[in-house]
Amino acid sequence: MTLLSNNKPLNKQLNKYAQWKYWVLVVTLIILFLSALPSWYGEDAALQLSSKKPTSLSSEQVYQLLNQAGIHTKRIDQQRQNTLVVLQQADQQTLAKNVLSQAFAEDVQVTLVLAPAAPNWLLNMGFAPIKLGLDLRGGVQFLLDVDLDLVFTNQALMVSDSVKQFVRQEHISAVMVRQGDGAEVNIEAAQPEARGKIRQFITQQYPLWQVVGRQDTLIVSLSESEQVKLTNLTVQQNLQIMRSRIEELGITEALVQRQGENRIRIELPGVQDPASAKNVIGATASLAFYPVLETGSVNAMVLKDEQGQPVYVARKPVLGGDHIVDARAAIGDFGMSKVNISLDTGGGKLMSDFSRDNIGKPMATAFSEYSRNEKGQAQQSTKIISVATIQSQLGSKFEITGAGTHQEAQQLALLLRAGSMTAPVTIVEERTIGPSLGAENIVNGFAALALGMAVTLLFMACWYRRLGWVANVALIANMVMLFGLLALIPGAVLTLPGIAGLVLTVGMAVDTNVLIFERIKDKLAEGRSFASAIDVGFDSAFSTIIDANFTTMITAVVLFSIGNGPIQGFALTLGLGLLTSMFTGIFASRAIINLVYGRETRRAIKV
Amino acid sequence: MNVKTINNSSQALGYLTKWRYASSLISIVFMLLSLTVIGVKGFNWGLDFTGGVVTEIQIDKRITASEIQPLINAAYQQEVSVISASEPGRWVLRYANIPDEAQRPQLHTVLAPLNSDISVLNSSIVGPQVGQELVEQGGLALLVAMLCIMGYLSFRFEWRLASGALFALVHDVVFVLAFFSLSQMEFNLTVLAAILAILGYSLNDSIIIADRVREQLVAKPQWNTTDINNLAVKSTFSRTMVTSGTTLLTVVALWVMGGAPLEGFSIAMFIGILTGTWSSISVGATLPEFLGLKAEHYLVVPLTDTP
Repeated sequence: MTLLSNNKPLNKQLNKYAQWKYWVLVVTLIILFLSALPSWYGEDAALQLSSKKPTSLSSEQVYQLLNQAGIHTKRIDQQRQNTLVVLQQADQQTLAKNVLSQAFAEDVQVTLVLAPAAPNWLLNMGFAPIKLGLDLRGGVQFLLDVDLDLVFTNQALMVSDSVKQFVRQEHISAVMVRQGDGAEVNIEAAQPEARGKIRQFITQQYPLWQVVGRQDTLIVSLSESEQVKLTNLTVQQNLQIMRSRIEELGITEALVQRQGENRIRIELPGVQDPASAKNVIGATASLAFYPVLETGSVNAMVLKDEQGQPVYVARKPVLGGDHIVDARAAIGDFGMSKVNISLDTGGGKLMSDFSRDNIGKPMATAFSEYSRNEKGQAQQSTKIISVATIQSQLGSKFEITGAGTHQEAQQLALLLRAGSMTAPVTIVEERTIGPSLGAENIVNGFAALALGMAVTLLFMACWYRRLGWVANVALIANMVMLFGLLALIPGAVLTLPGIAGLVLTVGMAVDTNVLIFERIKDKLAEGRSFASAIDVGFDSAFSTIIDANFTTMITAVVLFSIGNGPIQGFALTLGLGLLTSMFTGIFASRAIINLVYGRETRRAIKV
Repeated sequence: MNVKTINNSSQALGYLTKWRYASSLISIVFMLLSLTVIGVKGFNWGLDFTGGVVTEIQIDKRITASEIQPLINAAYQQEVSVISASEPGRWVLRYANIPDEAQRPQLHTVLAPLNSDISVLNSSIVGPQVGQELVEQGGLALLVAMLCIMGYLSFRFEWRLASGALFALVHDVVFVLAFFSLSQMEFNLTVLAAILAILGYSLNDSIIIADRVREQLVAKPQWNTTDINNLAVKSTFSRTMVTSGTTLLTVVALWVMGGAPLEGFSIAMFIGILTGTWSSISVGATLPEFLGLKAEHYLVVPLTDTP
């Protein structure tokens, strides 16, 4: 609370801003104006061609090819191994990609990109257009659910297996080992000594697991912190997998983001057909290699092969797909398709140890796919895709044959190359926004902004004649700053609700000026001179302005932290709009008023 | 605007007292009615919250809903809602999701008998758990925002003044919710965002009046609270009208030009701003008076009474 006093130091001149304040104001406005400018020019659909070899990709050749297909290019820029083809029509992007990837096949990687249409001098200064959200650009959005239950169950399986083995080795009798829910194993043992031994074994071998005794039962569970860690690792791994898979799709500006505890949000701007993206994202395959046991073995897991014949394999795989470093489809002997696999060192060691002791024995390759049933539960279906006899000691490089046609082998190789899933991932939300609808949303949004702006400017000019134009200059400066900031802030995305936030900001931004002007009116009514009324008016409105804006800021922050994509866009423009409106409403309009009316000592003035 | 003769003596403002009391009563009655409406009718939750599929298609303008409906109902084996969108030839289809991708009928094949080019403008599939989570998240957002605002208000203002602003806020939100319940317009994520924005804006007006009340209580300790309230409402009235006016104008611009996706948002904002203005000069300003706000609450220890 401020009690205003009018006995200011006499040597301080009324309504005078120091020169540096004007410099700050002008420099800020110029920088943000330049930053806002590229958005005015917009972006063109383009293709990025990166040659894998230092070749011979001539721009004339590209031009000819596209021209033949009826695709018009705006320009083709070449820089060493990278060629940027800017198209005239955005809807020809996918077509152009197909044409070029067919023509150059293996040698050139073609990716869909957007190229800013602004002049080069502007782009060279480091300014870029505002990034548009999916609802304005068109594209596909997926929300994936990473099922962690299976990860925990697998961890528990590992522990229960090793406890069983220990019990067998130590000849402890009357012990029952059962798996509980998630990461929990229940061990029932009648004898206290047996329980003691088992407890000791677990604390030694699995220090991250907690053992709680309840009567005859030991409950072994993964500690809370370890579960969180495991969750994070799994989701991180899946994020990485998704990123590399999407890279394979050739979309550079895709967004892959963790959302909440176990969700992954993927935005693919410019993608018009969700099906192809879904095939790659949605199919969550993993590969594991199992030793094949004799038919009828007791301790075996029975899996069906492609003909539906049962194959008996050991419960524990030799190694899982997470050891796979690279996988490529190739044509092997007799024209059979095959997949060449490279393993990391750890995987190579496991494979080499296993194969050394098992030469001449069969090894099965199991391919698991995850899907969701009607009840929304994750289901794992595993089938044996090949049973091959180990011919020699395998190292970190080996090959699998029998993955089907060459195309199927390629698909499998792509999935394996992108890494391997250790947790099933399912699509729980899917949104497609057609490119025409995106463009329509932009047009509508900006039409609303233009209308709202025009009406507000007109109203202010008519209502506060003498001071109205100051408010209007402040409002325009506010919009320039807001657009400049949106383009400048990394990660800021403009969405349709975001435009709604801009429109609201226009209506609310004048509030700062209105509050000040009303105070000035009051002070004039008290009989002050215009200059003095300005000085006191600005001062007394200040705390009110802060109070009023602060609460809206609270809701903007809450919305931003809790909301998702489009809503975050709204919160962003709302919050930024408050900041810029305070800057222009208080600082910029004061600077102008000081210059123009600062020395005005008349009293009976109409505002 | 003329500034010639403004008679701000307490008698001249007396007429405002009656007006404020009457309008507060109206507000409270309407609020109770609103709560009843919400309780009885509930909401028409949008896809974001319920889960399911919404697809917007564009087909030949001559085709009517009665031609589309039976084809789709048969293919999806459920009652599909077919609603006309903003333009002729545009339809919004809404139905429960068929989880198995393989069994999901393709719209193009389903509508093939209509002999029309069909383009899918947008489509959203939301799983049931996602919707459930959004309901929880939305509720949480509303709650957290309310708590933060309450915290700020009680820090900045004396509790009696703060409770007036807070009551006005609840009033506005309830009113907007009641409108959506009564009209059965779709309640989706953008409407939720609008309601949160209303939280902020509704408070704007109340706070500006409260600020003035506080200032005048300090400046005119000999006045009684009723007169101070009248004075505060009167002296901020022109500001309230101008700001609400410009904001309403821009919201109308959004309503008119923004197209279907922003319709719910603009309507919610429009109502929110109207009731926000109303409540700030009626209940918002009157409640502190009934709670016994007095000058000494600010005068005794003016600088340290904020807890």
